[in-house]
Amino acid sequence: MKLVLLLLEGMVVSLQIFALTLIFAIPLGLIISFGRRSKNIIISGITSIYISIMRGTPLILQLLVVYFAPSYVFEAKVGRFTAAVIAFILNYAAYFAEIFRGGIESIPKGQYEAGEVLGFTKLQVFFKIVLPQVIKRVLPPISNEVITLVKDTALVTAIGVEEMFRVAQNASSRVSSVQPLFVAGVFYYVMNLIVAQAFSFAEKKLNYYR
Amino acid sequence: MEMIKATDIYKSFDGNVVLSGISFEVNKGEVVAVIGPSGSGKSTLLRCINLLEKVDMGSITVEDDVMVCTNAQGRAVYADKKKLREIRLKIGLVFQSFNLFPHYSVLDNIMTAPISVAGVSKAEAQKAAMELLIKMGLEDKANAYPCNLSGGQCQRVAIARALALKPDVLFFDEPTSALDPQLTNEVLKVIRQLAEEHMTMVVVTHEMNFAREVADRVIFMDGGVIVEEGKPEDIFTNPKKERTRAFIRGFIG
Repeated sequence: MKLVLLLLEGMVVSLQIFALTLIFAIPLGLIISFGRRSKNIIISGITSIYISIMRGTPLILQLLVVYFAPSYVFEAKVGRFTAAVIAFILNYAAYFAEIFRGGIESIPKGQYEAGEVLGFTKLQVFFKIVLPQVIKRVLPPISNEVITLVKDTALVTAIGVEEMFRVAQNASSRVSSVQPLFVAGVFYYVMNLIVAQAFSFAEKKLNYYR
Repeated sequence: MEMIKATDIYKSFDGNVVLSGISFEVNKGEVVAVIGPSGSGKSTLLRCINLLEKVDMGSITVEDDVMVCTNAQGRAVYADKKKLREIRLKIGLVFQSFNLFPHYSVLDNIMTAPISVAGVSKAEAQKAAMELLIKMGLEDKANAYPCNLSGGQCQRVAIARALALKPDVLFFDEPTSALDPQLTNEVLKVIRQLAEEHMTMVVVTHEMNFAREVADRVIFMDGGVIVEEGKPEDIFTNPKKERTRAFIRGFIG
Protein backbone atom coordinates (compact mmCIF):
# COMPACT_ATOMS: atom_id res chain seq x y z
CA MET A 1 0.00 0.00 0.00
CA LYS A 2 2.86 2.31 0.83
CA LEU A 3 4.33 1.61 -2.59
CA VAL A 4 1.11 2.61 -4.29
CA LEU A 5 1.04 5.90 -2.39
CA LEU A 6 4.65 6.61 -3.32
CA LEU A 7 3.96 5.83 -6.95
CA LEU A 8 0.87 8.05 -6.94
CA GLU A 9 2.97 10.87 -5.57
CA GLY A 10 5.42 10.30 -8.42
CA MET A 11 2.52 10.17 -10.83
CA VAL A 12 1.51 13.68 -9.83
CA VAL A 13 4.89 14.90 -11.10
CA SER A 14 4.52 12.83 -14.30
CA LEU A 15 1.08 14.31 -14.85
CA GLN A 16 2.39 17.83 -14.28
CA ILE A 17 5.03 17.33 -16.97
CA PHE A 18 2.39 15.79 -19.21
CA ALA A 19 -0.12 18.62 -18.74
CA LEU A 20 2.38 21.47 -19.01
CA THR A 21 3.83 19.95 -22.18
CA LEU A 22 0.43 19.72 -23.84
CA ILE A 23 -0.70 23.18 -22.76
CA PHE A 24 2.36 24.84 -24.28
CA ALA A 25 3.43 22.48 -27.05
CA ILE A 26 0.08 22.49 -28.89
CA PRO A 27 -0.15 26.27 -29.41
CA LEU A 28 3.61 26.45 -30.02
CA GLY A 29 3.27 23.65 -32.57
CA LEU A 30 0.53 25.59 -34.34
CA ILE A 31 2.74 28.68 -34.49
CA ILE A 32 5.70 26.64 -35.76
CA SER A 33 3.48 25.13 -38.45
CA PHE A 34 2.70 28.67 -39.64
CA GLY A 35 6.42 29.35 -39.75
CA ARG A 36 7.01 26.18 -41.71
CA ARG A 37 4.37 27.25 -44.23
CA SER A 38 5.63 30.82 -44.43
CA LYS A 39 6.54 32.21 -47.85
CA ASN A 40 9.49 33.93 -46.19
CA ILE A 41 12.37 31.51 -46.81
CA ILE A 42 14.25 32.61 -43.69
CA ILE A 43 11.28 31.80 -41.44
CA SER A 44 10.42 28.56 -43.19
CA GLY A 45 14.12 27.60 -43.27
CA ILE A 46 14.65 28.18 -39.57
CA THR A 47 11.51 26.30 -38.59
CA SER A 48 12.30 23.37 -40.83
CA ILE A 49 15.82 23.10 -39.35
CA TYR A 50 14.28 23.30 -35.90
CA ILE A 51 11.81 20.51 -36.68
CA SER A 52 14.53 18.43 -38.25
CA ILE A 53 16.79 18.65 -35.17
CA MET A 54 13.99 18.06 -32.68
CA ARG A 55 12.75 15.01 -34.52
CA GLY A 56 16.20 13.78 -35.50
CA THR A 57 17.90 13.58 -32.11
CA PRO A 58 16.99 11.54 -29.01
CA LEU A 59 14.64 13.24 -26.58
CA ILE A 60 16.82 11.99 -23.72
CA LEU A 61 19.76 13.90 -25.21
CA GLN A 62 17.62 17.02 -25.56
CA LEU A 63 16.73 16.70 -21.87
CA LEU A 64 20.40 16.62 -20.96
CA VAL A 65 21.18 19.60 -23.19
CA VAL A 66 18.39 21.76 -21.77
CA TYR A 67 19.40 20.82 -18.23
CA PHE A 68 23.18 21.14 -18.50
CA ALA A 69 23.82 23.61 -21.33
CA PRO A 70 22.70 26.77 -19.48
CA SER A 71 25.19 26.16 -16.68
CA TYR A 72 28.05 25.72 -19.16
CA VAL A 73 27.14 28.59 -21.43
CA PHE A 74 25.73 31.23 -19.08
CA GLU A 75 26.63 29.77 -15.71
CA ALA A 76 22.89 29.87 -14.99
CA LYS A 77 21.16 26.98 -13.36
CA VAL A 78 17.82 25.61 -14.50
CA GLY A 79 15.79 23.46 -12.13
CA ARG A 80 15.42 19.79 -13.06
CA PHE A 81 11.66 19.97 -13.38
CA THR A 82 11.76 23.20 -15.40
CA ALA A 83 14.41 21.78 -17.71
CA ALA A 84 12.35 18.64 -18.21
CA VAL A 85 9.22 20.60 -19.08
CA ILE A 86 11.08 22.94 -21.46
CA ALA A 87 12.73 20.06 -23.29
CA PHE A 88 9.42 18.26 -23.67
CA ILE A 89 7.64 21.35 -24.94
CA LEU A 90 10.37 22.05 -27.50
CA ASN A 91 10.40 18.45 -28.68
CA TYR A 92 6.66 17.85 -28.85
CA ALA A 93 5.95 21.20 -30.48
CA ALA A 94 8.03 20.02 -33.45
CA TYR A 95 5.89 16.92 -33.89
CA PHE A 96 2.65 18.83 -33.37
CA ALA A 97 3.80 21.40 -35.92
CA GLU A 98 4.13 18.76 -38.61
CA ILE A 99 0.76 17.28 -37.72
CA PHE A 100 -0.90 20.69 -37.92
CA ARG A 101 0.85 21.45 -41.19
CA GLY A 102 -0.52 18.26 -42.67
CA GLY A 103 -3.98 19.09 -41.35
CA ILE A 104 -3.95 22.65 -42.65
CA GLU A 105 -2.70 21.60 -46.07
CA SER A 106 -5.43 18.96 -46.34
CA ILE A 107 -8.20 21.58 -46.23
CA PRO A 108 -9.38 22.22 -49.81
CA LYS A 109 -8.60 25.60 -51.34
CA GLY A 110 -12.32 26.05 -51.99
CA GLN A 111 -12.93 26.48 -48.27
CA TYR A 112 -10.60 29.48 -48.18
CA GLU A 113 -12.11 30.87 -51.37
CA ALA A 114 -15.68 30.49 -50.12
CA GLY A 115 -14.74 32.35 -46.95
CA GLU A 116 -12.97 35.06 -48.89
CA VAL A 117 -15.87 35.56 -51.28
CA LEU A 118 -18.24 35.89 -48.32
CA GLY A 119 -16.09 38.75 -47.07
CA PHE A 120 -14.34 37.03 -44.17
CA THR A 121 -10.96 38.41 -43.18
CA LYS A 122 -7.97 36.05 -43.35
CA LEU A 123 -8.14 35.58 -39.58
CA GLN A 124 -11.85 34.79 -39.67
CA VAL A 125 -11.29 32.29 -42.46
CA PHE A 126 -8.62 30.56 -40.41
CA PHE A 127 -10.36 30.48 -37.06
CA LYS A 128 -13.97 29.98 -38.15
CA ILE A 129 -13.55 27.77 -41.17
CA VAL A 130 -10.14 26.14 -41.41
CA LEU A 131 -9.08 25.44 -37.82
CA PRO A 132 -12.25 23.59 -36.72
CA GLN A 133 -11.86 21.24 -39.67
CA VAL A 134 -8.14 20.85 -39.02
CA ILE A 135 -8.82 19.82 -35.41
CA LYS A 136 -11.12 17.04 -36.55
CA ARG A 137 -8.55 15.79 -39.03
CA VAL A 138 -5.55 15.87 -36.71
CA LEU A 139 -7.17 14.15 -33.73
CA PRO A 140 -5.95 10.62 -34.63
CA PRO A 141 -2.28 11.59 -35.14
CA ILE A 142 -2.39 13.89 -32.11
CA SER A 143 -3.73 11.06 -29.95
CA ASN A 144 -0.72 8.99 -31.00
CA GLU A 145 1.62 11.73 -29.83
CA VAL A 146 -0.21 12.23 -26.56
CA ILE A 147 -0.02 8.51 -25.77
CA THR A 148 3.70 8.54 -26.53
CA LEU A 149 4.04 11.58 -24.29
CA VAL A 150 2.58 9.70 -21.32
CA LYS A 151 5.28 7.06 -21.68
CA ASP A 152 8.04 9.54 -22.55
CA THR A 153 7.63 11.30 -19.20
CA ALA A 154 9.61 8.37 -17.78
CA LEU A 155 12.67 9.70 -19.63
CA VAL A 156 13.05 12.63 -17.25
CA THR A 157 14.71 10.26 -14.76
CA ALA A 158 17.78 10.94 -16.92
CA ILE A 159 18.10 14.37 -15.29
CA GLY A 160 16.91 13.15 -11.89
CA VAL A 161 13.33 14.38 -11.75
CA GLU A 162 11.44 12.43 -9.08
CA GLU A 163 8.50 11.18 -11.07
CA MET A 164 6.73 7.87 -11.11
CA PHE A 165 9.31 5.83 -12.98
CA ARG A 166 12.14 7.09 -10.77
CA VAL A 167 10.10 6.28 -7.67
CA ALA A 168 9.45 2.78 -9.00
CA GLN A 169 13.13 2.24 -9.81
CA ASN A 170 14.18 3.34 -6.33
CA ALA A 171 11.60 1.15 -4.67
CA SER A 172 12.60 -1.73 -6.89
CA SER A 173 16.24 -1.60 -5.84
CA ARG A 174 15.26 -1.10 -2.21
CA VAL A 175 13.15 -4.26 -2.06
CA SER A 176 15.16 -6.16 -4.70
CA SER A 177 12.07 -6.95 -6.73
CA VAL A 178 10.63 -5.93 -10.09
CA GLN A 179 7.18 -5.64 -8.56
CA PRO A 180 7.28 -1.81 -8.18
CA LEU A 181 8.28 -1.46 -11.82
CA PHE A 182 5.46 -3.75 -12.82
CA VAL A 183 2.95 -1.69 -10.82
CA ALA A 184 4.29 1.48 -12.45
CA GLY A 185 3.78 -0.17 -15.83
CA VAL A 186 0.15 -0.81 -14.94
CA PHE A 187 -0.25 2.83 -13.94
CA TYR A 188 1.16 4.05 -17.27
CA TYR A 189 -1.16 1.70 -19.07
CA VAL A 190 -4.21 2.93 -17.16
CA MET A 191 -3.28 6.57 -17.89
CA ASN A 192 -3.08 5.74 -21.56
CA LEU A 193 -6.39 3.92 -21.49
CA ILE A 194 -7.91 7.14 -20.20
CA VAL A 195 -6.12 9.20 -22.88
CA ALA A 196 -7.31 6.86 -25.63
CA GLN A 197 -10.86 6.98 -24.29
CA ALA A 198 -10.81 10.75 -24.18
CA PHE A 199 -9.68 10.94 -27.80
CA SER A 200 -12.19 8.44 -29.02
CA PHE A 201 -14.89 10.44 -27.22
CA ALA A 202 -13.68 13.63 -28.92
CA GLU A 203 -13.60 11.92 -32.30
CA LYS A 204 -17.17 10.72 -31.84
CA LYS A 205 -18.22 14.20 -30.82
CA LEU A 206 -16.83 15.57 -34.08
CA ASN A 207 -18.35 12.79 -36.11
CA TYR A 208 -21.47 14.81 -36.82
CA TYR A 209 -19.98 15.98 -40.10
CA ARG A 210 -17.67 14.70 -42.77
CA MET B 1 -27.34 51.00 -66.21
CA GLU B 2 -23.92 49.41 -66.12
CA MET B 3 -23.32 47.49 -62.97
CA ILE B 4 -19.97 45.98 -63.81
CA LYS B 5 -17.65 47.25 -66.44
CA ALA B 6 -14.45 45.40 -67.25
CA THR B 7 -12.07 46.83 -69.82
CA ASP B 8 -9.09 45.19 -71.50
CA ILE B 9 -8.44 42.52 -68.90
CA TYR B 10 -5.20 40.60 -69.23
CA LYS B 11 -4.27 37.71 -67.02
CA SER B 12 -1.65 35.03 -67.30
CA PHE B 13 -0.44 32.26 -65.02
CA ASP B 14 3.32 31.64 -65.23
CA GLY B 15 3.53 32.96 -68.77
CA ASN B 16 0.43 31.07 -69.86
CA VAL B 17 -1.99 33.71 -71.13
CA VAL B 18 -5.54 33.00 -69.98
CA LEU B 19 -7.27 36.30 -70.62
CA SER B 20 -5.97 38.48 -73.40
CA GLY B 21 -7.86 41.71 -73.59
CA ILE B 22 -11.38 41.03 -72.41
CA SER B 23 -13.92 43.83 -72.19
CA PHE B 24 -17.49 43.39 -71.18
CA GLU B 25 -20.16 44.86 -69.01
CA VAL B 26 -23.11 43.64 -67.03
CA ASN B 27 -26.22 45.77 -66.77
CA LYS B 28 -28.56 45.89 -63.84
CA GLY B 29 -31.22 43.18 -63.91
CA GLU B 30 -29.55 41.35 -66.74
CA VAL B 31 -28.70 37.65 -66.96
CA VAL B 32 -25.50 37.01 -68.88
CA ALA B 33 -24.47 33.49 -69.85
CA VAL B 34 -20.81 32.86 -70.56
CA ILE B 35 -20.16 29.80 -72.71
CA GLY B 36 -17.09 28.37 -74.35
CA PRO B 37 -14.77 25.38 -74.37
CA SER B 38 -12.84 24.32 -71.25
CA GLY B 39 -9.75 26.41 -70.71
CA SER B 40 -11.16 29.37 -72.59
CA GLY B 41 -10.80 31.62 -69.53
CA LYS B 42 -14.46 31.80 -68.47
CA SER B 43 -13.87 30.84 -64.87
CA THR B 44 -10.76 32.97 -64.62
CA LEU B 45 -12.76 35.96 -65.81
CA LEU B 46 -15.32 35.45 -63.03
CA ARG B 47 -12.58 34.87 -60.50
CA CYS B 48 -10.85 38.09 -61.50
CA ILE B 49 -13.99 40.15 -61.02
CA ASN B 50 -14.52 38.35 -57.73
CA LEU B 51 -11.01 39.19 -56.54
CA LEU B 52 -9.98 35.55 -56.22
CA GLU B 53 -7.38 36.31 -58.89
CA LYS B 54 -5.66 39.59 -59.61
CA VAL B 55 -5.53 40.87 -63.16
CA ASP B 56 -2.20 41.78 -64.76
CA MET B 57 -3.68 44.68 -66.67
CA GLY B 58 -7.04 46.27 -67.30
CA SER B 59 -9.72 48.03 -65.31
CA ILE B 60 -12.82 46.87 -63.49
CA THR B 61 -15.53 49.10 -62.11
CA VAL B 62 -18.39 47.84 -59.96
CA GLU B 63 -21.27 50.29 -59.81
CA ASP B 64 -19.41 53.53 -59.17
CA ASP B 65 -16.43 52.01 -57.41
CA VAL B 66 -13.14 51.47 -59.18
CA MET B 67 -11.79 48.08 -58.19
CA VAL B 68 -8.72 48.16 -60.37
CA CYS B 69 -7.32 50.39 -63.05
CA THR B 70 -4.13 50.46 -65.08
CA ASN B 71 -1.50 53.13 -64.52
CA ALA B 72 0.70 54.81 -67.13
CA GLN B 73 3.30 52.03 -66.81
CA GLY B 74 0.66 49.48 -67.80
CA ARG B 75 0.40 47.93 -64.37
CA ALA B 76 -2.82 47.05 -62.59
CA VAL B 77 -3.42 49.18 -59.51
CA TYR B 78 -6.02 47.93 -57.05
CA ALA B 79 -8.12 50.02 -54.67
CA ASP B 80 -7.28 49.89 -50.98
CA LYS B 81 -8.28 46.89 -48.85
CA LYS B 82 -11.29 48.54 -47.29
CA LYS B 83 -12.73 49.52 -50.65
CA LEU B 84 -12.09 46.05 -52.04
CA ARG B 85 -13.96 44.46 -49.15
CA GLU B 86 -16.87 46.77 -49.80
CA ILE B 87 -16.88 45.93 -53.51
CA ARG B 88 -16.53 42.22 -52.82
CA LEU B 89 -19.74 42.17 -50.79
CA LYS B 90 -21.67 43.51 -53.78
CA ILE B 91 -20.76 40.40 -55.76
CA GLY B 92 -21.80 36.89 -54.72
CA LEU B 93 -20.18 33.78 -56.14
CA VAL B 94 -21.51 30.25 -56.41
CA PHE B 95 -18.83 27.63 -57.04
CA GLN B 96 -18.91 24.52 -59.14
CA SER B 97 -17.96 22.42 -56.11
CA PHE B 98 -20.34 24.25 -53.71
CA ASN B 99 -17.64 24.78 -51.06
CA LEU B 100 -20.11 24.67 -48.22
CA PHE B 101 -18.58 24.66 -44.76
CA PRO B 102 -18.92 21.02 -43.68
CA HIS B 103 -18.74 21.73 -39.95
CA TYR B 104 -21.67 24.14 -40.04
CA SER B 105 -25.31 23.19 -40.32
CA VAL B 106 -27.20 24.37 -43.37
CA LEU B 107 -28.64 27.27 -41.39
CA ASP B 108 -25.22 28.26 -40.00
CA ASN B 109 -23.69 28.10 -43.46
CA ILE B 110 -26.17 30.76 -44.54
CA MET B 111 -26.08 32.84 -41.35
CA THR B 112 -22.38 32.99 -40.65
CA ALA B 113 -21.37 35.68 -43.15
CA PRO B 114 -24.29 38.04 -42.42
CA ILE B 115 -23.45 37.81 -38.71
CA SER B 116 -19.66 37.99 -38.81
CA VAL B 117 -19.17 40.10 -41.89
CA ALA B 118 -22.24 42.29 -42.31
CA GLY B 119 -22.91 42.66 -38.58
CA VAL B 120 -26.52 41.52 -38.75
CA SER B 121 -28.04 40.37 -35.44
CA LYS B 122 -28.37 36.64 -34.94
CA ALA B 123 -32.16 36.69 -34.81
CA GLU B 124 -32.40 38.72 -37.96
CA ALA B 125 -29.87 36.56 -39.79
CA GLN B 126 -31.74 33.44 -38.80
CA LYS B 127 -35.04 34.84 -40.01
CA ALA B 128 -33.53 35.83 -43.35
CA ALA B 129 -31.79 32.46 -43.68
CA MET B 130 -35.04 30.59 -43.08
CA GLU B 131 -36.78 32.69 -45.72
CA LEU B 132 -34.03 31.84 -48.20
CA LEU B 133 -34.30 28.16 -47.36
CA ILE B 134 -38.04 28.25 -47.98
CA LYS B 135 -37.36 29.89 -51.32
CA MET B 136 -34.91 27.09 -52.13
CA GLY B 137 -37.43 24.46 -50.99
CA LEU B 138 -35.06 23.29 -48.27
CA GLU B 139 -36.74 24.52 -45.08
CA ASP B 140 -36.75 20.97 -43.67
CA LYS B 141 -32.97 20.78 -44.05
CA ALA B 142 -32.15 23.79 -41.87
CA ASN B 143 -30.44 21.69 -39.21
CA ALA B 144 -28.90 19.11 -41.52
CA TYR B 145 -25.19 19.11 -42.34
CA PRO B 146 -23.85 19.38 -45.89
CA CYS B 147 -22.62 15.77 -45.81
CA ASN B 148 -26.24 14.62 -45.54
CA LEU B 149 -27.44 16.54 -48.59
CA SER B 150 -27.46 15.66 -52.27
CA GLY B 151 -25.32 17.69 -54.64
CA GLY B 152 -28.34 19.62 -55.86
CA GLN B 153 -29.37 20.45 -52.33
CA CYS B 154 -25.81 21.53 -51.50
CA GLN B 155 -25.75 23.85 -54.47
CA ARG B 156 -29.09 25.38 -53.48
CA VAL B 157 -27.74 25.98 -49.99
CA ALA B 158 -24.67 27.59 -51.56
CA ILE B 159 -26.93 29.88 -53.58
CA ALA B 160 -28.85 30.78 -50.43
CA ARG B 161 -25.56 31.46 -48.65
CA ALA B 162 -24.48 33.83 -51.40
CA LEU B 163 -27.88 35.56 -51.44
CA ALA B 164 -27.83 36.05 -47.67
CA LEU B 165 -25.35 38.90 -48.09
CA LYS B 166 -27.82 40.61 -50.45
CA PRO B 167 -25.32 41.02 -53.30
CA ASP B 168 -26.16 43.31 -56.19
CA VAL B 169 -24.96 40.71 -58.65
CA LEU B 170 -24.54 36.96 -58.39
CA PHE B 171 -21.91 34.97 -60.28
CA PHE B 172 -22.20 31.27 -60.99
CA ASP B 173 -19.09 29.33 -61.95
CA GLU B 174 -20.39 26.22 -63.72
CA PRO B 175 -22.98 25.66 -60.99
CA THR B 176 -24.24 22.37 -62.35
CA SER B 177 -21.08 20.77 -63.74
CA ALA B 178 -20.71 18.53 -60.70
CA LEU B 179 -24.34 17.36 -60.82
CA ASP B 180 -26.28 14.68 -62.67
CA PRO B 181 -29.12 15.79 -64.99
CA GLN B 182 -31.90 15.49 -62.43
CA LEU B 183 -30.03 17.47 -59.78
CA THR B 184 -28.98 19.94 -62.47
CA ASN B 185 -32.62 20.71 -63.12
CA GLU B 186 -33.44 21.54 -59.53
CA VAL B 187 -30.54 24.00 -59.43
CA LEU B 188 -31.41 25.54 -62.79
CA LYS B 189 -34.97 25.98 -61.58
CA VAL B 190 -33.73 28.12 -58.72
CA ILE B 191 -31.56 30.22 -61.03
CA ARG B 192 -34.50 30.64 -63.38
CA GLN B 193 -36.63 31.82 -60.49
CA LEU B 194 -33.96 34.38 -59.58
CA ALA B 195 -33.91 35.55 -63.18
CA GLU B 196 -37.67 36.13 -63.02
CA GLU B 197 -37.06 38.32 -59.99
CA HIS B 198 -34.58 40.31 -62.10
CA MET B 199 -31.55 39.39 -60.08
CA THR B 200 -28.44 40.48 -61.96
CA MET B 201 -26.50 37.33 -62.76
CA VAL B 202 -23.51 36.11 -64.70
CA VAL B 203 -23.57 32.36 -65.29
CA VAL B 204 -20.66 30.39 -66.69
CA THR B 205 -22.31 27.25 -67.97
CA HIS B 206 -22.22 24.29 -70.30
CA GLU B 207 -26.01 24.00 -70.20
CA MET B 208 -26.78 25.40 -73.63
CA ASN B 209 -30.54 25.04 -73.40
CA PHE B 210 -30.53 26.84 -70.12
CA ALA B 211 -28.35 29.64 -71.49
CA ARG B 212 -30.66 29.97 -74.45
CA GLU B 213 -33.82 30.16 -72.36
CA VAL B 214 -32.75 32.24 -69.43
CA ALA B 215 -29.97 34.55 -70.58
CA ASP B 216 -30.62 38.02 -71.89
CA ARG B 217 -27.20 37.98 -73.47
CA VAL B 218 -24.73 35.24 -74.30
CA ILE B 219 -20.97 35.67 -74.41
CA PHE B 220 -18.91 33.09 -76.26
CA MET B 221 -15.31 32.92 -75.13
CA ASP B 222 -12.43 30.99 -76.63
CA GLY B 223 -8.69 31.27 -76.18
CA GLY B 224 -8.90 34.07 -73.65
CA VAL B 225 -10.94 36.45 -75.80
CA ILE B 226 -14.62 37.14 -76.34
CA VAL B 227 -15.25 35.75 -79.79
CA GLU B 228 -18.85 36.80 -80.06
CA GLU B 229 -21.65 38.11 -77.92
CA GLY B 230 -25.28 38.83 -78.48
CA LYS B 231 -28.83 37.78 -77.89
CA PRO B 232 -29.22 34.05 -77.30
CA GLU B 233 -31.28 33.52 -80.44
CA ASP B 234 -28.55 35.11 -82.55
CA ILE B 235 -25.70 33.22 -80.92
CA PHE B 236 -27.44 29.87 -81.01
CA THR B 237 -29.23 29.97 -84.33
CA ASN B 238 -27.25 32.42 -86.33
CA PRO B 239 -23.69 32.81 -85.04
CA LYS B 240 -21.52 35.13 -87.08
CA LYS B 241 -18.14 33.63 -86.32
CA GLU B 242 -16.97 30.25 -87.49
CA ARG B 243 -15.53 29.37 -84.05
CA THR B 244 -18.88 30.01 -82.39
CA ARG B 245 -20.65 27.95 -85.01
CA ALA B 246 -18.27 25.03 -84.51
CA PHE B 247 -18.68 25.16 -80.74
CA ILE B 248 -22.48 25.30 -80.86
CA ARG B 249 -22.62 22.55 -83.43
CA GLY B 250 -20.54 20.41 -81.06
CA PHE B 251 -23.24 20.79 -78.45
CA ILE B 252 -26.39 20.58 -80.45
CA GLY B 253 -25.00 17.96 -82.80
